[in-house]
Amino acid sequence: MLDFLARLFRTRPRLAPEALQSAFREHYRNFRALITANNNALELMSLAEETLHSGKPFGMAFVRGELTALTVNVYKMVHSLVALSDGRYQALHERFRHITEAIEAILSRQPEVTGGAHCLTMAQIDRRVIDQVGPKMANLGEIGNRLGLTVPDGFAITAAASRYFMESSRVQDEINRRLKTLDVDNLEDLYLVSSAIQELIRSAPLPEDLDGMIRDQYDRLARRLGTQPTVSVRSSALGEDSQHGSFAGQYRTRLNVAAAAIADAYKEIVASKYLSQAIVYRQQRGYRHQDVLMGVGCLAMVEAVCSGVAYSRAPEDEHSPWVVIHAATGLGHHIVDGSAAYDLLHVQVEAPHGVETVHLADPQRPCLTEALARELARQALRIEDHFGTPQDIEWALDPGGRLVILQARPIGAPSKEASPPRLQAARDRLAGETPLLAGGVTASRGVGAGAVFKVTCAVDALNFPQGAVLLVDTPYPEWAVLINKAAAVISESGQSATHLATVAREFGVPALFDLPGAMKQLENGQDVTVDATARRVYAGRVEPLLEAARHRPNLMQGSPIHKLLEEALALITPLRLTDPNSPYFKPAACRTLHDITRFCHEKALTEMFNFGHRYGARDKSAKQLVVVNMPSQWWVINLEDGFRPDADLSTPFVRIEDIVSAPMLAIWKGMTAVPWAGPPPVSMRGLGAIIAQSTMNPQLDPAVRSRMAGRNYFLLSRNYCNLSVRLGYHFALAEASFSDLLTESYVNFQFQGGAADERRRRRRVQLLGELLREIDFRVDIKGDSLTARIEKRPVPYLKERLVVLGHLLIHTRQVDMVMDEEGYIARYLDKLRADIARIRQDLTEENTTVGTPAQHPVD
Amino acid sequence: MERPRNILLIDDEEEFLAAMSRRLARRDFEVRTATRCAKGMAIVAAGWPQVVVLDVMLPDTDGMACLAGIKQAAPRLPVIMLTGHASMQASLQGLEHGASDYCLKPIALDELVEKIIIAFNETGSAR
Repeated sequence: MLDFLARLFRTRPRLAPEALQSAFREHYRNFRALITANNNALELMSLAEETLHSGKPFGMAFVRGELTALTVNVYKMVHSLVALSDGRYQALHERFRHITEAIEAILSRQPEVTGGAHCLTMAQIDRRVIDQVGPKMANLGEIGNRLGLTVPDGFAITAAASRYFMESSRVQDEINRRLKTLDVDNLEDLYLVSSAIQELIRSAPLPEDLDGMIRDQYDRLARRLGTQPTVSVRSSALGEDSQHGSFAGQYRTRLNVAAAAIADAYKEIVASKYLSQAIVYRQQRGYRHQDVLMGVGCLAMVEAVCSGVAYSRAPEDEHSPWVVIHAATGLGHHIVDGSAAYDLLHVQVEAPHGVETVHLADPQRPCLTEALARELARQALRIEDHFGTPQDIEWALDPGGRLVILQARPIGAPSKEASPPRLQAARDRLAGETPLLAGGVTASRGVGAGAVFKVTCAVDALNFPQGAVLLVDTPYPEWAVLINKAAAVISESGQSATHLATVAREFGVPALFDLPGAMKQLENGQDVTVDATARRVYAGRVEPLLEAARHRPNLMQGSPIHKLLEEALALITPLRLTDPNSPYFKPAACRTLHDITRFCHEKALTEMFNFGHRYGARDKSAKQLVVVNMPSQWWVINLEDGFRPDADLSTPFVRIEDIVSAPMLAIWKGMTAVPWAGPPPVSMRGLGAIIAQSTMNPQLDPAVRSRMAGRNYFLLSRNYCNLSVRLGYHFALAEASFSDLLTESYVNFQFQGGAADERRRRRRVQLLGELLREIDFRVDIKGDSLTARIEKRPVPYLKERLVVLGHLLIHTRQVDMVMDEEGYIARYLDKLRADIARIRQDLTEENTTVGTPAQHPVD
Repeated sequence: MERPRNILLIDDEEEFLAAMSRRLARRDFEVRTATRCAKGMAIVAAGWPQVVVLDVMLPDTDGMACLAGIKQAAPRLPVIMLTGHASMQASLQGLEHGASDYCLKPIALDELVEKIIIAFNETGSAR
């Protein structure tokens, strides 16, 4: 009774036919706009989710673009619904604004700079000021001040100082403008933009007070040392050397800088944030440029008789019993640049630290005595012990015979290989083959194949093709820009301490170094397979080996941009509003953009469903579908041109023959193509469970009919169809649009709930999902609810899938009753697959006859 | 779906205008271009365009003001904002001023054509 009154109250005064027609047209126009926006929004949300979990690199431009497009579409839905409902859902505007503002706040978040000091002296530096001076300087301070090892004296110019410099120079806007349009895959463009930006920074004046402060720090350093030392000026970027990214060799270091040149060197280091390899690295690893703040260290130069790198563990083996030492005469950043001949020593991790000489650059003159090597190993192990992870340490030996630690950072995790046993088997099978090249040093484990491409200069690099094998003479850090394109790296010289090796390990790209003669022996364009682990290069593509070794790390996981998208998506994709009959299905309950789209879509359907009734327009009202002169349990609402023009609209019925909606006819065809086989054998427990559920949940009682929710209905026009079904306790919604425009060509399907216990409901959607995937639907299953989509496909393709969908809609309902019988499930699946195959076969033969609906009880 | 014929492009980049109008012409659209809002407004005032594609950055006035001007002169004329600047705030501002859509450069021609047709039909000026 109340229901009746409410409906009566809402019924509008009858409109004149013309006004009615125009009101309906306006409704339908808004409805269509909403449906299109809904489809776009669903596609964008699923693309964003997919990207987040794919591990493929994406940048802020992608995130902003995606979220902007999504916002636009959800806004249009809200706007259309408010128009469609004569302003009834105004409250959605407020919810929408609230959610989008929260997303915007996440996107525009800036990294914080702690502490206002622009300079700190070495004595003030340890891990506690890591957020001011960056990890490289903080670690060095820690080693000097806490461990008492020898480090160079000097000072740090903090991140706050570089921010101050960039702000006062006002070049950041111009930098951002140039980066915005940069395509990092276009190396030519990349080099140009990179050098232009660096020039901008280098030519900007240093603020006077900062300049003065740096001079003052230098003077104090000179007084402490009693000389006027030259200094090394090094990057110590915030966020560098973190667990997530090594940033190895990304930025510049200037050595032997005289007092007068420190300011220029400082600007050069700050500018090196925009070196081409650093720009690419950030893009690949999911860092925004603003996430990296430059701290800079100025350290008194150490006069070195020899220098090098020490690994507290062999870099490719965390359980290695050896400390690995690389040493070269003089002061060598050549070792990490990959350009020096060097001594290689192994020192036992366990006392008494036995020394093993692996090779010497000059056998007559080793750089280090055994005693010094042992002392260096002890220091390396102390540093590892202090920081808790294996360390990569740069060191020097001064003329007084004193070891000085120049830098320490964690060794990146060893590169991983998939399924070692399979890989071993594949390698064993190759035992008889003669490799093109063998030997060298494993710089990064793994197997890769591609055409050889030699790179000797930047011009070669410009032409480097995706998926080629990078072949170089020397592993310079600049070649890191090519790592993400390379299938593998071969170098004539170099070893695992080079920056290029570190980056290769990080990106999971196999690298084999120290293969003299490789440049001569391999031809450009020749296909090779590089097994960097086994230190062999084979001719051609060795597929079994490649197959067994397939592995690429997820480079984005845990990066700032990854986290940012993850946080933003938490306000976007979760769906809480699932049950339209719940009292919580209302604007105020919308917590995410997905909730809003779901709400808008549902209410738009309701508005269109109720239009005819509310406005007293018989031709716009729901009509009962008549099949072979029998009224069926299906209702149909014509939105525009879904009926034949000459159909009789004066009665509350419509004949199937009068329907011309292509998507509806496709679904209907599937629903009726194969007659229902009758109830399958039912296990008593199965039926019992269904009955028990029905009695506990009044929503499931088929006798309870709220106006719309209880009906099975089609809303349709010639090229659009929305089908809502409640069949045997299942709720299903299929929506399809056919069009010449790809944006408006799609099939959406939702399936949810139903009787039977949780476990069976889950199994049912799993099963349905499996069948839908087999016909190319993108399926997403959460608990017992399933969504499946296909979009942007030609009409015949969509039509075929709609027919199959129609069939599944009718026939999966029987699956419930056989859920417990494994044998039946398998047999039933086979039957469904056979039916599907037959339906698709029939379709290709273009059988367009519409049959009678399957004879089955409708609940 | 009905197809509009007369498209007005307003953008400060001459190169972009030239390339885009050539490509749209190949898809059977009649295209006129303007590098300034004022010139675009004159074409709108003459009642010629059926859909406007408008850049957000213009030399004489900002795109939002231009949009507001167009919508005031011709409320039923669909305007698609096209910009190199992805911003949720700007996009919402555009929609609130009556834009039909807000898209990002670079945009595939097929996609832009679809957006033009959809905007034309949705804004109801098809009739």
